[in-house]
Amino acid sequence: MYQFIIKEDTVLNNKEKNEQNQSAYIDQKKVGANVGFARIRRITGYLVGTLDRFNNAKRAEEKDRVKHGCS
Amino acid sequence: MLTRYENVKMTAKPIRNTQKSNSVYVNETELMDIYKKLTFTAAQDEDIKRENANIDGDTAMGTMLKYGSEGSKFFIDHYVLPENIAQAHQNGDIHIHDKDFYMLTETCCQIDLIKLFKNGFSTGHGYLREPNSIESYSALACIAIQANQNEMHGGQSVPNFDYAMADGIKKTFRQEFWKFFRIYMQIKTYLEEIEIDAIQEKFEQKIVIIRLHLFQVYKEQFEEFLYLNVTQDILRDAFCFASQKAVKATERRTYQAMEAFVHNLNTMNSRAGAQVPFSSINYGTDTSEEGRMVIRNLLLATKAGLGNGETPIFPVQIFKVKEGINFNSKDKNYDLFKLAMETSASRFFPNFSFIDAPFNKKFYKKGDFQTEVAYMGCRTRVLENVYDPKRQTICGRGNLSFTTINLPRLALKAHGDIELFFKLLDKMIYLSFHQLLHRFHIQCRKKVRNYPFLMGQGIWIDSEKLAIDDEIAKILKHGTLTIGFIGLAETLKALIGVHHGESKAAQELGLKIISYMRQKTDEAAKRTKLNFSLIATPAEGLSGRFVLMDRKQYGVIAEVTDRDYYTNSFHIPVYYPIKAYKKIQLEAPYHSLTNGGHITYIELDGDVCKNMDAFETIIRYMKESGIGYGAINHPLDRDPVCGYVGVIDNECPRCGRKEGESVSIKKLNELREIYSNVPIYN
Repeated sequence: MYQFIIKEDTVLNNKEKNEQNQSAYIDQKKVGANVGFARIRRITGYLVGTLDRFNNAKRAEEKDRVKHGCS
Repeated sequence: MLTRYENVKMTAKPIRNTQKSNSVYVNETELMDIYKKLTFTAAQDEDIKRENANIDGDTAMGTMLKYGSEGSKFFIDHYVLPENIAQAHQNGDIHIHDKDFYMLTETCCQIDLIKLFKNGFSTGHGYLREPNSIESYSALACIAIQANQNEMHGGQSVPNFDYAMADGIKKTFRQEFWKFFRIYMQIKTYLEEIEIDAIQEKFEQKIVIIRLHLFQVYKEQFEEFLYLNVTQDILRDAFCFASQKAVKATERRTYQAMEAFVHNLNTMNSRAGAQVPFSSINYGTDTSEEGRMVIRNLLLATKAGLGNGETPIFPVQIFKVKEGINFNSKDKNYDLFKLAMETSASRFFPNFSFIDAPFNKKFYKKGDFQTEVAYMGCRTRVLENVYDPKRQTICGRGNLSFTTINLPRLALKAHGDIELFFKLLDKMIYLSFHQLLHRFHIQCRKKVRNYPFLMGQGIWIDSEKLAIDDEIAKILKHGTLTIGFIGLAETLKALIGVHHGESKAAQELGLKIISYMRQKTDEAAKRTKLNFSLIATPAEGLSGRFVLMDRKQYGVIAEVTDRDYYTNSFHIPVYYPIKAYKKIQLEAPYHSLTNGGHITYIELDGDVCKNMDAFETIIRYMKESGIGYGAINHPLDRDPVCGYVGVIDNECPRCGRKEGESVSIKKLNELREIYSNVPIYN
């Protein structure tokens, strides 16, 4: 019983420490630099996850696409 | 005339340039220049490495594939093709698709998994037993698609995915049912294992369908077991317990199996690692509980996306729309049609095919999936069969090869003279017929041995009737030989100054041109008893090729050669503002003419998920207008940093970052408390 309590204390202390460390770390750390947005488009029936792999002609076509009104 | 190419001649020496020995050398240097480009430039800078957007040209295997492809094209041009055909391709009158595979294989095939799975199959590298659970069904479906992909140059399709997977669900349900039944009996009664075995044995083969209340069906037969000292009540409760638990467990397992199916098809490399298989699946019409379970869970898994919520690129999914099955609110699968539209609004797939379009409906027999039209990948359609009119069916058939005619070039040559245009078109059609037959006769000399999976495992129709060293000539006749076209809009512009979106007269002329082409393919089919057909070409690599050459020859002509691409097939130009309903009306008649395949796209603005009524209105209008195959495009962006999916203009509406900017982990942790799909960073 006694041992159990000591153990729990240790756990708590560690946890607190971790939280403190982590929050300091979190404030500093940033992610996502140089990460682009993924833009999915359809090309001749297949989907492509990125415009980078479109050939020049298809890039030009994608740029020209206009929306079709519904009314 | 058409049988002249029965014996294909191949020479050990180049056919072309034999008089000027120097020019061969020049050509070989050209090839080496291509190899240098492939080797020393990045895909980003080199168009040739981005011919197909789903192949990564920067990887070792992607480059290896291009070496092979370019070397093969060189060989075909100089040693195989008759002079006039080689020239027509090289100067851009026609485009022979997948020319690098000219000597090797066919385009695509519609795989019948039901037939394949029966009694198991071999991939050529190992034998697989008949699958016994939905997980194995889904895994083996991927393996079959992958194995076939490695033997053909086009995409692979499963035309009856719901029917095929339903068998796996029956087996899974049966397993789950007996598992729970035994548990219940062991807890609630004092029966020995052997006595429970006896009950299971008697009913094992009968529990084949999913029912929540199985007991009513089998009530009388239980009386035989009264000697076991169990009451009817206990048996009834056991049946109720087991069937309810089994339905739930089967549903859960099916979801996981469908999730795995989609994940696998997006991640497993084929063709030496350069790409994943180009897969398509058709579904939507199986109204059995099992079939419905497949469709529902596949759609839910697609909607959920891949590991980080990414949109699955494969398989291409096609939801078959049919009145009386899923189109109207009283139809049994209407709920699934609804779910399909919701899924499509957030994930692009499924696309929608329409069995009720008159040219599809005439083949349809209720309850027979072999007669339900299926579309492959980009748009290929194989259903009619002049070679064997008794088998106008889908499974085991596909396209053998196709060749596209440069329509705008003919219009430019004709200088507005429509009569001359048709004369030139006539010539080009016959040249294409000759070329398709030339290739067909090469394909015919191949043996079953050359396709251990496609032919060796009976995927292709009737291939199971051939021996390993038999030629495949006879059975290939079930496939289609197809002529395609590009740039109808530019053609009309060049001929009469307006395209079919702009004037009635242009639409009439457009229909006249495409009807003429169809008439010619029909005549050829009748004459040769081969399945000549007409396709609205899905041009990717081709979209820019013709126009560059035509611009060089004829100069920059407004709305003909002034853009970097020719408009796809019969489409209204992508840049032309037009209402959705009008575009559908104008493009629909071309669907009935292009029996080798077609698709119509509508581009919608903004976040379609928030406007499902508009989405449904468009799909329903497509069906009413006689469209065969259609889909809706809309902007679909994703921020990989915070996991947002939707429209992103300049900054992400969820985390507020601009492209390339960073965002603090603190912010992301806050967002994670609101949204479940924010990725975790350590």
